[in-house]
Amino acid sequence: MAKLSDNYFSIDGILSTQERIPCKVEMPIYRLGYLDSSSDSDDLVAGTKLEIPYWMARGLCSRRRQIVSIEMPRQYREGYREILTADASVVDLHQLGPYFYNFGSELLNFEHPEVSDIAKSLLKTLQARIRLIMDSSQNSLNEDISRLTQKLDETERHLFIAGQKGLIDFQRWETRETEKLVTSDMVKKHRKRKRAIMEAT
Amino acid sequence: MDPSEVEFLAEKDLVTVVPNFAQDKIYLISGDIGPFSPGLPVDIPLWMAVNLKQRHKCRIVPPEWMDVEKLEDKKQEETDSKFFTPMPSKYYMEVTQVLLKCATADIPRADDVRTLIKDIWDLRISKLRSSIDTFIKSDATHAKLNHLTLMEINTVRSFLTLSLDQLHLLRSNVSGGIKATQD
Repeated sequence: MAKLSDNYFSIDGILSTQERIPCKVEMPIYRLGYLDSSSDSDDLVAGTKLEIPYWMARGLCSRRRQIVSIEMPRQYREGYREILTADASVVDLHQLGPYFYNFGSELLNFEHPEVSDIAKSLLKTLQARIRLIMDSSQNSLNEDISRLTQKLDETERHLFIAGQKGLIDFQRWETRETEKLVTSDMVKKHRKRKRAIMEAT
Repeated sequence: MDPSEVEFLAEKDLVTVVPNFAQDKIYLISGDIGPFSPGLPVDIPLWMAVNLKQRHKCRIVPPEWMDVEKLEDKKQEETDSKFFTPMPSKYYMEVTQVLLKCATADIPRADDVRTLIKDIWDLRISKLRSSIDTFIKSDATHAKLNHLTLMEINTVRSFLTLSLDQLHLLRSNVSGGIKATQD
């Protein structure tokens, strides 16, 4: 599995690079004053602080081009990292950003002194939370899972669904559901499609 | 893998049956079966035993381990041991399930057997879960678990592989393995 953002068509990849990053403008940017809604000048003057999406910041802040300088978003700063170190399993990661891990990994592309700490913190967080995800996904049959997935970020939800599938498949086998013959979904849909074509002509 | 595929593999396991008909040896790609003669026990694959049983052509002799006392000992051993203990059959779950479905009458105290097998299963699964947790927290790259059965592995397979993928991504961030080259 590659990074989400490596896949051009990955919706999750697109969504996770949409997250906003607080930035400071380092040199005047002409004609883009409308990006900062609090000023009415035509240009963005140096020193303005604003939030721009990750994909834009990525192009504006690199070793070659220092048009803006970035700050780490709140949820990746030291204070939050300490909370995650204390007990990651009770934190509501969905609230900290629905793509906590993906966005966090993307942030590592910037040159920032905290980058290596963030990388370590992301890894430790997931390691600590796996048990919670595994247990809740494998112990919840026929119940409302929205309560359980509420605090998980999108990556963790994928894991949760995988765990649930394992449980449900086994349960279906144990209750002998799998040996019942059912119409394949494709055949069902095929018939409907045929009718649609017939009615059209 | 779907559990029914695991069951399919388990159906190659041999069980002893007592047929009530006579038949020469049957030559199959997987091996010869038979000959059958009424009243004489013969080892045949599980799938065939199920088929013969459904047509009332045989009586199934329960496998040696499918016995309440033996299973109780096994359960005790599994509870006492910190590690996985070897199971009497690689396919204990599948065989029990299939036999209890089609030949309940041939197995003495079938209900107790069912409960015991389920208990052992639950014990092992919870052990499996805690070992996965230890494994993931320990930063290790591989682990070895002895005596796990295919069905047990199968229930955690997709979850475990996905989580390890994800952890690998995060880990390569730390060591700076994969980096985009946009600068």
